[in-house]
Amino acid sequence: MKPILLQGHERSITQVRYNREGDLIFSCAKDNTPNIWYSINGERLGSFNGHNGAVWCMDVNWDSTKVLTGSADNTCKLWDCETGKNLVTIDTRTGVRTCSFSFSGRVLALSTDKTMGLPCEIQFYDVLDPQQLRASKPFLSIPIEGSKVTTALWGPFEEYMITGHENGEMCQYDTKTGELVLSIKEHNKQINDIQGSKDLTMIVSASKDTTAKLFDTSTLDHLKTYKTERPVNSAAISPIKDHVVLGGGQEAMEVTTTSTRIGKFDARFFSLVFEEEFARVKGHFGPINTVVFHPDGRSYASGGEDGFIRVHNFDQSYFEHNFEL
Amino acid sequence: MPSLESEPKGISWAEQVEAGDEGSLPPSSEDYDEKNGIKTITEYKYNDDNKLIKVVKTYKVEVRRVSKSIARRKNWKKYGLAERDPPGPNPANTIISEEIMMQFINSKDQQPEKEEDPLAKLKNQKIVQCRICKGDHWTTKCPYKDTLAPLQEQLTEDPNKKLAGESTGALQAPSSAPKTGKYIPPSLREGANKGRGETMAQGRKDEAATIRVTNLSEETRETDLQELFRPFGPISRIYLAKDKLTGQSKGFAFINFHRREDAARAIAGVSGFGYDHLILNVEWAKPSGNQ
Repeated sequence: MKPILLQGHERSITQVRYNREGDLIFSCAKDNTPNIWYSINGERLGSFNGHNGAVWCMDVNWDSTKVLTGSADNTCKLWDCETGKNLVTIDTRTGVRTCSFSFSGRVLALSTDKTMGLPCEIQFYDVLDPQQLRASKPFLSIPIEGSKVTTALWGPFEEYMITGHENGEMCQYDTKTGELVLSIKEHNKQINDIQGSKDLTMIVSASKDTTAKLFDTSTLDHLKTYKTERPVNSAAISPIKDHVVLGGGQEAMEVTTTSTRIGKFDARFFSLVFEEEFARVKGHFGPINTVVFHPDGRSYASGGEDGFIRVHNFDQSYFEHNFEL
Repeated sequence: MPSLESEPKGISWAEQVEAGDEGSLPPSSEDYDEKNGIKTITEYKYNDDNKLIKVVKTYKVEVRRVSKSIARRKNWKKYGLAERDPPGPNPANTIISEEIMMQFINSKDQQPEKEEDPLAKLKNQKIVQCRICKGDHWTTKCPYKDTLAPLQEQLTEDPNKKLAGESTGALQAPSSAPKTGKYIPPSLREGANKGRGETMAQGRKDEAATIRVTNLSEETRETDLQELFRPFGPISRIYLAKDKLTGQSKGFAFINFHRREDAARAIAGVSGFGYDHLILNVEWAKPSGNQ
């Protein structure tokens, strides 16, 4: 395969997302301008200018009309996807670590960092209420007392929010009452990413403790473990095959002391069921920070510490691959 | 190629400026082979050395049927940093990288990590051999480094045999010193002892069982040496050269054994032994100068 290199960021990539139909790619990095690209040929459609800090997260609503970005400059911005205009800026007291639209796009959730003596919070805003957004007054705010939230995902029917924490905990918070529904601790280090399967019956978590784990979404029962020998920064489940892709590498601060060959910066494909690695793809010059499958499962994109986004269209051999038992 | 077909091809301002400067460039042409869906664009421009160059770009035009919402999004105007980009991918931002293959891993012979790590590769070949236990590791990493256990096992076997012949001539001490072309004083050469009187031999008896240990670390103490050499036999005296002021070892020591055989075994056993990150050198002590 010939990957398409998207070179629009000056610093390491923090998150890459596809929209629902998969024709657009959204990317944000530690520089100030998130980008939007056509997935088919890698053409850049535009960028969202206005942040003054690293952009940690971004999301797009289901009909690709609005884009949400959360940044370390203590703001979360809502953009018009077609024109790139900033619609609303939500001011938070600390940096925004995660942000996402609910399935309907009516509610947006964001989580803030625990810094400057302020606690980590999960906040919920009604997108249809401009008053709420402008005044930065969430209709629900959940203070997190323990370890801070590093990644969050909407549960089925918007009933609860699944959060991954810095100490390896994974929790479910009710999105109506703000109560803690369920809490487990299967990882012993920070959870970097949580992504769901297509039907959201399963979620896969990527942790610094060098493993990725598969859980049942509603009960958070631990199902499978995918072991590597380096921190895992991101993991995604294929929407069409029983595959999991893991992206990681040793920590960014140690990269300069090792060669690329030993660095293990390749994306690794595991069998969802057998927990066995069956393929890997090289290319990045630094650890992979984020991996995501195209909604049709025929390509995937990865963003790395090296500042590049690589869009890979799978060869036929990938689809023909069978496990030898 | 989103928007390439739907919009008239505009020239970016940068190209317009260039075109204005240089003037008489041959007009660019566009060919479209509808049957194969191949579009060829021929352009002319001046490169950095002011030479006229011809640029031929060949595109494969693919028609894909997509949903209306996606098709609508294809015609969106570019904005932000991409506002001035011409239609189609900007080569500054979008690069088609070279062909890479997905490496499939066979579950049967699954040990890909080992292959990639060059050090791990070497592990399988016997490049590193421990001098103490002959294992596949550096001598300093040897688990028996400080115990000398395997050393003694080995000593009970072959060195005894080897030394059996040697120790018959009790006074041929220097002959067992390495014969590597080093200068040997005439008095120490083979046969030199024959001319000496019996009385002299008496005084040298002590010395004959003395070994010199060099390349010791500065931290070495007499007790360390005692520990190291006691296994070989009873020791009558240990002299460790020390700095007068600091009291630190100067790096060499003399060990007097009661029996010469013990001394010989100690030489065979400890010479080349890694001790305190240094490799010890043990040989027969040369007779002191005042004799």
